Amino acid sequence: MPDNQGLIRERLGRLGLETRREEEIVRELSEHLADHAAALEARGVARDAAAREALDSVSNWPELRNEILSAETEEATMNYQMTYRTKVLWLPALVALTLSSSLLAIFQFSGLVPRFYWLSKTGMSVHPFFTFYLPWLIALPLIGAVAAFWSQRAGGKAIHRLLAALAPPIGMLGFFLITPFITLLVYMLIPLFAKGSGHTRVPLTLHAPPMIGVLVVLVSWVLLPAVGLFLGALPFLRKHQPQS
Amino acid sequence: MLGIDTKIKRGSGELAILALLNQEPLHGYEISKRIAQVTGGVLQFNLASLYPLLYRMEKRGWVKGKWEEAKSGRKRRYYHLTRNGKKQLAPLRQEWGLFFQALHRIAGVAHAG
Repeated sequence: MPDNQGLIRERLGRLGLETRREEEIVRELSEHLADHAAALEARGVARDAAAREALDSVSNWPELRNEILSAETEEATMNYQMTYRTKVLWLPALVALTLSSSLLAIFQFSGLVPRFYWLSKTGMSVHPFFTFYLPWLIALPLIGAVAAFWSQRAGGKAIHRLLAALAPPIGMLGFFLITPFITLLVYMLIPLFAKGSGHTRVPLTLHAPPMIGVLVVLVSWVLLPAVGLFLGALPFLRKHQPQS
Repeated sequence: MLGIDTKIKRGSGELAILALLNQEPLHGYEISKRIAQVTGGVLQFNLASLYPLLYRMEKRGWVKGKWEEAKSGRKRRYYHLTRNGKKQLAPLRQEWGLFFQALHRIAGVAHAG
């Protein structure tokens, strides 16, 4: 029996892939050649001739090498992955974000007054308050359902469906996280612009935000919306039924 | 840039492989043998045309290769259809159905589906 793996390595040359993957490919191709040769032998071809014929079935080894390399590294594969992620995650997430922020804007512009719940016993000079746009919160499960369903239809995994549905509070959380840095940047830039204008310099004083205030904002704008969206997405997070 | 011939062969090969693996996991040689058998030799994939296709499909997450022991006792790399691969089947079938319908309309090429 010829050393198929050696012959394949000789013809393909180094592929430049990870050693383990390269060995796997050579081993797999070698098994294929062995099967091919065995099938020829079963039809009465002599062993050596069968092995040679199986090997000769590949007429252009450099082309095979290129094809394998292209399959392993091709841009199209990366593009496909990108398209896939766009379809199953970014697009439904964008839909959820757009729907939720548009709906909130509509409620605000239509004069809907949110419900405020003040926390009076915090010992702070300014009392933090919860802000609830009840109709908006009630509509969020529907938006979560739309995003999760969209992702599911596009072939998204449970994690994609969940992330797509939770995009609005994730975006809001990101906004809250970067806001202190933007504020700091603005404070640092103000003196530069104020220099030549004769205005007095604004002294930079930093205060850590009170924890209770942060929690109230997080509950109002991140946690509660996340719960609403999650409830809507829940039916679509279960194992996907294969399409008929 | 791929020629149209290559694209058609690759596309039809993808559909054929997905359809076969939807029935049961197969290793590369079995896949090529089964395609030739089922299509009466019209579609034929040899080592050079089959494996780049399989590797591409694996990279896309449509199939997953696992080394398993074959009936012969040898370890073979069996390809399993993934959930993502299953989802590609219906749209690919539809695409090819439409393609053959269009060809039929324009050139009288009847399609079997």
